Amino acid sequence: MAEKESGYRYIGKGISRLDGVEKVTGAAVYVHDMILPGMLYGKTVRSPHPYARIKHIDTGAADRIPGVRAVLTGKELDYKVGLYILDKDILAKDFVRYQGEPVAAVAADSELIAEQACREIGIEWEVLKPVLDPLDALEPDSPLVHPYLGDYDYMKGVFLPQAGTNIPHQQKVRKGNIEEGFKRADHIIENSFYNPPAQHVPMETHVAIAQSLPKNKVKIWTSAQSPYTVRNLFSVCFGIPHEKIRVQVPYVGGGFGGKAGIHLEPLSYVLSKKAGGRPVKLKMTREEEFNTIPSRQGLYSEFKTGVTKEGKITALEVRFYWDAGAYADYGVNIGRAAAYSGAGPYEIDHCKIDSFVVYTNKIFGTAYRGFGHVEALWGIERNMDIIARKLDMDPVELRMKNVLMPGSTTITGEKITENTGRVDKCLEAVAKDIGWAGNKSDEQRRRDRRQTGKVRGKGVALLHKAPAMPTFTSTGVILKFNENGTVDLITSLVDYGQGTYTALAQIAAEELKIPVEKVHVPWDCDTAFTPYDWQTVASKGVLMTGNAVIAAAHDCMKQIKETAAHVLRCSIDELVCDKERVYVHHNPDEYLEYRQVVSGYSYPNGNSIGGPVIGKGKYIAQGLTHLDSETGQGLPALNWTYGAHAVEIEVDVETGETEVLKLASAFDVGKVMNEKLVRGQIVGGVVQGLGSAVIEEFHFSKDGKVLNPSFVDYKIPTAKDIPLEMTQHVIETPQLDGPYGARGVAEQPMISIPPAIGNALYDALGIDYYQLPLHSQRIYMGIKGGEKDYHD
Amino acid sequence: MIMPFAYVKPDTVDAAIEALQEDNAHALAGGTALLVDLRNGVVNSDLVVDLKGIEELDTFKVDAEKGVSIGARTDLNAILEDKTLKTTHPVIHEAVSVLGTYQLRNRATLVGNICKASPAADMGPPLFVLGAEIVIKGPEGERTMPVTEFMTGVQENALEKGEIVVRVDIPAYQKAKMGYMKKQRIKGHDLAVVNVAGLADPGSGTLRICVGACAETPLLLEGMDQLYKEVNDIDKLAEEVSELAVSSISPIDDVRATAEYRSDMARVYVKRIVKRICS
Amino acid sequence: MSEYRRDIDITVKVNGVEYIENVPAHMTLLQFLKERLYLTGTKEGCGMGECGACTVIMDGKTVNACLVLTVEADGSMIRTIEGEAKEGMLTELQKAFVEHGGTQCGFCTPGMIMSGQNLLDRNPNPNREEIVEAIAGNLCRCTGYEPIIQAIEAVVSKKEATSLDGARSKSEG
Repeated sequence: MAEKESGYRYIGKGISRLDGVEKVTGAAVYVHDMILPGMLYGKTVRSPHPYARIKHIDTGAADRIPGVRAVLTGKELDYKVGLYILDKDILAKDFVRYQGEPVAAVAADSELIAEQACREIGIEWEVLKPVLDPLDALEPDSPLVHPYLGDYDYMKGVFLPQAGTNIPHQQKVRKGNIEEGFKRADHIIENSFYNPPAQHVPMETHVAIAQSLPKNKVKIWTSAQSPYTVRNLFSVCFGIPHEKIRVQVPYVGGGFGGKAGIHLEPLSYVLSKKAGGRPVKLKMTREEEFNTIPSRQGLYSEFKTGVTKEGKITALEVRFYWDAGAYADYGVNIGRAAAYSGAGPYEIDHCKIDSFVVYTNKIFGTAYRGFGHVEALWGIERNMDIIARKLDMDPVELRMKNVLMPGSTTITGEKITENTGRVDKCLEAVAKDIGWAGNKSDEQRRRDRRQTGKVRGKGVALLHKAPAMPTFTSTGVILKFNENGTVDLITSLVDYGQGTYTALAQIAAEELKIPVEKVHVPWDCDTAFTPYDWQTVASKGVLMTGNAVIAAAHDCMKQIKETAAHVLRCSIDELVCDKERVYVHHNPDEYLEYRQVVSGYSYPNGNSIGGPVIGKGKYIAQGLTHLDSETGQGLPALNWTYGAHAVEIEVDVETGETEVLKLASAFDVGKVMNEKLVRGQIVGGVVQGLGSAVIEEFHFSKDGKVLNPSFVDYKIPTAKDIPLEMTQHVIETPQLDGPYGARGVAEQPMISIPPAIGNALYDALGIDYYQLPLHSQRIYMGIKGGEKDYHD
Repeated sequence: MIMPFAYVKPDTVDAAIEALQEDNAHALAGGTALLVDLRNGVVNSDLVVDLKGIEELDTFKVDAEKGVSIGARTDLNAILEDKTLKTTHPVIHEAVSVLGTYQLRNRATLVGNICKASPAADMGPPLFVLGAEIVIKGPEGERTMPVTEFMTGVQENALEKGEIVVRVDIPAYQKAKMGYMKKQRIKGHDLAVVNVAGLADPGSGTLRICVGACAETPLLLEGMDQLYKEVNDIDKLAEEVSELAVSSISPIDDVRATAEYRSDMARVYVKRIVKRICS
Repeated sequence: MSEYRRDIDITVKVNGVEYIENVPAHMTLLQFLKERLYLTGTKEGCGMGECGACTVIMDGKTVNACLVLTVEADGSMIRTIEGEAKEGMLTELQKAFVEHGGTQCGFCTPGMIMSGQNLLDRNPNPNREEIVEAIAGNLCRCTGYEPIIQAIEAVVSKKEATSLDGARSKSEG
């Protein structure tokens, strides 16, 4: 498909998303809305303690309430759930490991009855001493969150839980010789940073309906990002074969990684089974969404950087301590992904990274947009600015001296090519946009402060991310022609707001040479009908599934041409498809309309040939390898998407209140598939990143209880909290194995917003902050302290 | 989840009073506080008494000479949109404009905000500096008390069983300057970390400063008139009033802010408000 | 207490259709709309009036349906998202949301549109500040709000959709 740039009909065009009408009319139905015949409502009883032994659960009173159809405790359930390490029970069994963990569950005729029944369940506890901080959890005398870690099943070859410790995984990267690297440095600089756990806050809370059917079959409706992962993990957990489990996903009200794995489905199912096979709906309240459903891990990061006086980084030693909470879930993989990405988008010859994932008695961490990169890049990009300052060098200049360029090698030994992407151009674009002229001097800062009581500052930060996915990640697509020449695009990739279905429809339309209005995505994913897609995560949907769509389209064209060749009495090579027709290339008047062919063709005498045109396409990432367990060397990355942010802020020094005046962002997306969708991801991601940067965090009491499990005290940006001005730049360095050169940009916009602001705060105030979020109280306390370094 | 209860919508104050004398009965006006408490299990009710059918509670009079009367049924958006009130008593307008969201203000009432008596109540400091009076009706008849005595503690008010607030009366101020400032964590809807209201009436030599969210109830600072009279330099006045504020309040550490930050912000905001209203 | 009822007869008009129902006093308007009338467009985001996903228009005013008891809506006129488009014709605001990327996952969208439409009904020419105030009680996690503000502005000014607000540069690598 050697179409010229200007020749694309749909690629690159800002077509409105094809699900817009359903959403603006309220016609889109989410699992949250669903009511099925005979459906019961599930509710849970949750632990008030972060670490306790369950001595006794009394369900007698609950059982007797009219309308209660099932009551369950962990005692009756002998299953283990997990993505990489099977460390979790469906309902806590013997021990609870975080405050908020479900301990008992009820299914009843109404939500009210279920709630009333839950209130009647009595639990006797033996409260134990929890471990709440990952650094404490690494101490030799720390309580063990999982004393039997050594007995759990886990994904061998990729993860390695350390029995007898609180470490479900440690990832290592060893490039070059770190001691050598430090020897070559003129300066060695050490810094450490922290970000607290935070929550995804999708507007639709987690919800699942499951039904136990005869012959060991299961039907599940769930607000989820990955129907096949739900099916697979369900199968692993219950030992039910895949084909007997049917997972359906309708519209999803936001996921952000929090719905990537398996959550409420197993509990819904066991309740249904106990209730005689009636469907059971388990819907999280907002408080449960905050306090029971997993979060984003907290992270301590430590950096030791060797740098020459000219600004070349010779050595980088990094230690990550991930606060995984009570269960491993995705946490171990985040620890892994952040390790191979943990130097930032820079060329570093000598690098040593140790990424420890650590259990604590808190809500466990799961995938969150950025998959460890929002957390890790806070430290990485703040570190760069501090280094620049030590060298008396412009932070943009320091970055330009070290960024990965074509010909560079990453810390896992991957070669950056002419087509990987240009992080330097991203930086250039945003620095120019913000009018970057270097950091202010101390004198300038003092002067500004005297004048108005408000001071301004500018900061930049870079980012990079590759899809964090297994080497076997694959996707399949079916393009099914309807009799009237329209096409159904069938995929299990979930569109939960990104607009991917629209982009895929554009690709199908472009390749099949039909109007985009004639490509229809039936929307609901259903493992019975829609072909396999690994998971809708990792910013790889457009790249991988887009390629599968192209392959499926080519398969369709082949089938169309095969039939047409008979009818038009020519060879297949003489046929061209365009504008919903297949015609003889040197004689366009000899043609057939698609709709004459796509359901089979009938000759005048009745002879019929061909049949329904059903195109299939697939894609699997080529050439990815495992990472060496000692050195982390290998090729984990399908592609890298680079980006940069530049921000200008204004701080009221009397209160610490900070306004974001301007936020410029740039990403090398390879090829803009749809301007509106790209803008949507960037603006939305940037604002979500702002939330993490300036206000979002879980507050825990001294005894490990969540203090802010609601919107009253867990704040996210409102329409009043967005920057005054936001701009979005795109660089297009074509991704050779991406559809039309495109690569993903779904997670990237959120990454590195926090350090951009942290760096701007230094510019404005001359104070370094090491901890998130950068709320007004923290900023103020730094100013009050009068020191250059503010540590809480 | 909201647990079941009985419901009644009386059309007179007397009928409401009678209903509220039942066991475990609760008054319902806007519902933005009560329904949240019912849902969270903070309150369990057997009888919800809806006050919105009572015409007497509908007062909303704004007179530049006579003052303001705000009935229990008056919702916050009605108050916000009243152009006269914006000029006669701007401190009320300012406080309402940062209270809740547009949807919440269509239901929530000023009287409800005071009755809920959160230490951070947005209507607390403005009514304190305005010298508002709370008019109450109950089984024993009608009584009036200053708002400063009405809010008695953290989410506690002076109502006895069966009593309701009928209206809030606020005196007229011809020449006073007044203002409200609220320290929030985000610009969007948030509870106050600290809030302050001020009123300065050079004619009568009155200065009132009230700090909220820093004690169990909003705190009206003492000795303001004296300082107002004695200290002529506005910067010095602002300085002294703010120091007095800091020494009078007893803020706590909680999930929203530390006591230290609240104290420091009380100082900053009191200073700013004094400079604004005394200039 | 016997004269105080737990189940109340009400008459309420929703999107122009009259319903006569007997409802438990503790049932919220949100539950009534979704579970009794099967109007699933209005969403539950938090149940305590903080997120605006349940915004409907009651007697001309936007309210959080989760904080209104159904009995309080007796005699009232309710507008929900389902009543906006008439006979399949989208309103100008709905069209603008589609055009300007005002909806992504769609869960906040019904509430957001009710808030936006109510603003335009009260004030056909709002400035940006007024638009922000009208929707500040509607949380969105996907769009970053700017496209929503621009969608509402577009109805006022009939502007066309913007795409990327910055530069776009080709890189040969």
